[in-house]
Amino acid sequence: MKIINKFCLLAFLLLSISALSHPLDEFLILDIEEGQMNLEDEEMTEEYVAALKRQQQRRLAAKTGSERFWLFTKAGVEHIIPKGIDHILFVLGLFFSSLFFRPLLWQVTAFTLAHTITLAMAVLGVLTIPGEIVEPLIALSIVWVAVENCLFKKTTKWRPAIVFGFGLLHGLGFASVLSAYGLPKANFVPALLAFNIGVEIGQLLVLLGAAVLFWLTRKKFWYRKRVQIPASLTIATVGFYWFVERVFL
Amino acid sequence: MGIGLLAACESQPEKSENATPIAENPFFQEWTTPFGIPPFGQIKDEHYMPAFERGMEENLAEIDAIVNNPEEPTFSNTLEELERSGKLLTKVQRVFGNLTGSNTNETLQELQRELSPLLSAHSDKISLNEGLFDRVEAVYQQRESLDLSAEQLKLLEDTRKSFVRSGALLDEEEKAKITEINSELSELLTAFGQNLLAETNGFELILEESDLEGLSEGVRAAAAEAAAEKAESAETDEDKVKYEGKYVFTPHRSSMYPFLTESDRRDLREQLYTAYTQRGDNDDEEDNKEIAAKIAKLRAERAKLMGYETHAHFVLEERMLKTPEEVYNLLDELWKPSLQRAKVEVKDMQAVVNAEGKDFEIASWDWWQYSEKVRKEKYDLDEAALKPYLSLDNVLNGVFETTNQLWGLTYTELFDINTYHPDARVWEVKDKDGTHLGIFIGDYFTRSNKRGGAWMSSFKGQSNLDGEERPIVVNVCNFPAPVGDAPSLLSFENVTTLFHEFGHAMHGILTNVTYGSMSGTSGPRDFTEFPAQLLEHWASEPEILKSFATHYETGEVMPDELIEKLLKASKFNQGFANTEYLAASILDMDWHTLTADDQLKDADAFEEATMKRIGIIDEIVPRYRSTYFAHIFAGGYAAGYYSYVHSAVLDSDGFEAFKESGDVFNPELAAKLRENVYEKGSTEEAMELYKKFRGREPSIDALLKVRGLDGSTD
Repeated sequence: MKIINKFCLLAFLLLSISALSHPLDEFLILDIEEGQMNLEDEEMTEEYVAALKRQQQRRLAAKTGSERFWLFTKAGVEHIIPKGIDHILFVLGLFFSSLFFRPLLWQVTAFTLAHTITLAMAVLGVLTIPGEIVEPLIALSIVWVAVENCLFKKTTKWRPAIVFGFGLLHGLGFASVLSAYGLPKANFVPALLAFNIGVEIGQLLVLLGAAVLFWLTRKKFWYRKRVQIPASLTIATVGFYWFVERVFL
Repeated sequence: MGIGLLAACESQPEKSENATPIAENPFFQEWTTPFGIPPFGQIKDEHYMPAFERGMEENLAEIDAIVNNPEEPTFSNTLEELERSGKLLTKVQRVFGNLTGSNTNETLQELQRELSPLLSAHSDKISLNEGLFDRVEAVYQQRESLDLSAEQLKLLEDTRKSFVRSGALLDEEEKAKITEINSELSELLTAFGQNLLAETNGFELILEESDLEGLSEGVRAAAAEAAAEKAESAETDEDKVKYEGKYVFTPHRSSMYPFLTESDRRDLREQLYTAYTQRGDNDDEEDNKEIAAKIAKLRAERAKLMGYETHAHFVLEERMLKTPEEVYNLLDELWKPSLQRAKVEVKDMQAVVNAEGKDFEIASWDWWQYSEKVRKEKYDLDEAALKPYLSLDNVLNGVFETTNQLWGLTYTELFDINTYHPDARVWEVKDKDGTHLGIFIGDYFTRSNKRGGAWMSSFKGQSNLDGEERPIVVNVCNFPAPVGDAPSLLSFENVTTLFHEFGHAMHGILTNVTYGSMSGTSGPRDFTEFPAQLLEHWASEPEILKSFATHYETGEVMPDELIEKLLKASKFNQGFANTEYLAASILDMDWHTLTADDQLKDADAFEEATMKRIGIIDEIVPRYRSTYFAHIFAGGYAAGYYSYVHSAVLDSDGFEAFKESGDVFNPELAAKLRENVYEKGSTEEAMELYKKFRGREPSIDALLKVRGLDGSTD
């Protein structure tokens, strides 16, 4: 209180250094009339996060349609590479299931279709499932596909159906990210589309990378023993660790 | 998690523990940011203290260099060098001063306490520097022959005057006496504020749920939260029990006014309001009666030493109204119509009481409740129906468009610049011909580490001394943050506030003077509100309102019927508002026109005599009674509380010029206004500036009309 008073004096003496139109002594008066500030960290952080979201929406709204499209596409890619390590593992899990193009295509298509559906629903607010449930399940889905790779030599018939189910889960995971960006209501469809395209590009890049790496080994007799099974086991182990981490730690 | 992916965002405010090497302190570096906007992202809490310390050191060295300059004192080597001094201190002071108001934290608050005595001592070293005054005086004595421009002459006179007013012309004995009075005064002012804060915090109305008759959900919730907070911070179990599950109201206005308006319990209204009006007047340890009287007495003694009749004479010398007589004339002229209107309002309220079949006479604690009832009956304005038309972005467009039509200004939002908080937005303001005028920062939403109220300030001043420097100006408000998907929706009062603060911002942005210390809002207190209050008038012009007030969902323009109601309601309760305000202003003048020979007054008796003389009615208590009049006994408004209404006279009269011309954007008037008011800072006498714009001295007629005090309101 004393401080403020002296600040005012200072401002006056130093030839109005600070051009406050409402002089600082009014802050003292405000303290008396309105009560003093109550600084609570939790509240401040909450307000800050909400403000950040508003800022992002303003920045988005200020961009042109094509800039926004590109931005969301980029965000979609980034959510797979490098930020979506669990999605990368899942896609690799699919890769190690089959060396034939067709079954792989079926699985990837089922996965894409499914996560598009839930992503749209979640972002529109039709479907909300808390992250504490979705995230561990995503980890388990990784374990599942990897374990299946070890148990069955050929891709099972029900595999696309299961992958479709898992895709629904992963879509919910993407949605939490997308909503954190502050999706513009006015440009919802293009933004969603762009994000999805980005995710697809990311997935295809992962598959392409894996294909390049393992192309030569795929016809070797030891492929299943030395590549498919160890790789799948590693994936399953990591997936299981995440599950434990997300539930218990 | 995903936040910060799409755009580079500033980091969370954080406290870092290690002192940064000097080279990394952003205050010691040239800011290469766009437009010289402070690099907020790099400024950490620990950078302030070293910058303040070095800033003060450099400043004193610069002053020494001026004083010890072997050359004869000239305007350039004294006044201009003084103007150039203190750059680093100003740089850090502006950022610090702004952030402690708008985005503070515990570290900054602690720093504020630490810095206060240091800065105060520092400014004393300059304002009491005899060698410096001697040089200024030497230049002043030859001012006639120096061929100075009008602005230079004003700078010289103002600078000299500020030394003289600190006692530079007195002999040693007198100077010692002044120092003694000043230190005594400083202690008393502090004590007054502390007592008042303690008395305000010290009273609580702790209520049970059954005491809440009439209170709305929101008011109950706030009172419950206040109680919960008290229970949480209670130190003893006994205290905890006292608050748990209860509802707390305090004499803070934000808590008291809703209670007085809504509570059906007349006895509790009386209790709370009486506690409010008795603050500092309870004959306890925190009593302010004697302190107030002593402050008035010491000020009168100091004025006499300085050669003035009274403290009011001393203060007003620097104001637009130059003598106590002029101030009294203004206040007296307004008093009668205000009081008359207030008496009508009492009658209106009494009629409601009678119609309710209740048997009491309206008292001061009934005013809020019954004026609200009259308002509903007479004006039938539903605030909630207005809000959807008044989204923040719409209103901003409205104020931008208004200044565009007046002066051709254009605004470009700079989305990529990070400020001190993501809610603080940045615009570049350009003139008609596209030249850069300044940067405007708008920080509109309420938050817990921002002070209440609304204000304008700047991060960088304007000066043309060493090349052209354009300003960075900020408006800080406390509007409600958006909820859910809806945008931030303002009340009409918020809209007026936005236009008001934007008027200050215009004063800070359009300014174009050579010497920074005379730029922008540096003029006298009874003038600087004028450019702000003037702009408010455009917000209430139906054609302008219609241009920006469109429904945020349907796009529909605000209906005429709603606008009409809104404008009619603006004259509501003006009798009360003006009477309580004028009574306090007159009380302020009475205290500060005491002479050194007057005896120490008994504050209660003194106040009573004033109220009796002006004939205030029992139903109204002055806006501030002596014992809680912090503006004049703890702040800088002594003999200055009248400023608000004086500025109102100017803005009503000034806007009337536009109305008379038949065009609220009359280009000729707009140009005169800009050239003589918004650009000039304090480079000329305020009254001269006003007359150059208006063509004559201000008259109070327009104000009486605007406030419905001209007898036209039914």
